[in-house]
Amino acid sequence: MLNKIIVAVQKSDFDLNSEMETLKLKTEKAGAVVIFVGKVRDLEDDKLKYLEIESFEELAKSQIKEICDDAANKWDLEYILVKHRFGRLKINDNIVLVITSSKHRKKAYEASEFIMEYLKSNVPFWKKEVADKTQRWVENS
Amino acid sequence: MGKVKLKYFSRIRETIGKTSELVEIKSTNIQDLIEELQAMGEQYSVLKGRDFAVYSAIDQNIVTDVKTSIEGATEIAFFPPMTGG
Repeated sequence: MLNKIIVAVQKSDFDLNSEMETLKLKTEKAGAVVIFVGKVRDLEDDKLKYLEIESFEELAKSQIKEICDDAANKWDLEYILVKHRFGRLKINDNIVLVITSSKHRKKAYEASEFIMEYLKSNVPFWKKEVADKTQRWVENS
Repeated sequence: MGKVKLKYFSRIRETIGKTSELVEIKSTNIQDLIEELQAMGEQYSVLKGRDFAVYSAIDQNIVTDVKTSIEGATEIAFFPPMTGG
């Protein structure tokens, strides 16, 4: 079992450079690092004021941990990090960070996509878009 | 069955107007609990899931079967489909 799994559900932003430095200290045998960042985007037909992300923190953390364990079993990874934010975010603010690292790139890419797909509909976060003219809870497409 | 803490999230929280409440319940599964809660006000009809799917978690374990037993549970959460990422 991979012991380099880091999971956080937090209000604060994350810092890519410091995450990379931490990762490098623990992954000397890995040659690939895949970093996925999800960020807040503006709407097509309205101007977003802010995105409110609600979370069931404890359950979200345990659900993410579970999917990271699954990914670690499925692919031979050196490191997995998932940090998901909640609270009120503006356009371009970071929402989620997924870092996967493996000896070669294929496993890290596949694991990253697997984790993100799961995060979309199996972890208790809810997004509300508050814009100039409208506000609505986001639904999965 | 005794007292249980109910938690509501997202659209369900907005409709019911509370984030959580401590309620004395008799039901022994999710389906019966939703019926039982209807007596507390019409806002609880949101839990019937007519407009969107309603998920629940018993002591922080997500359940998909409304017949799942809630006996011995201390916390039951209700929420709409999740939209993370």
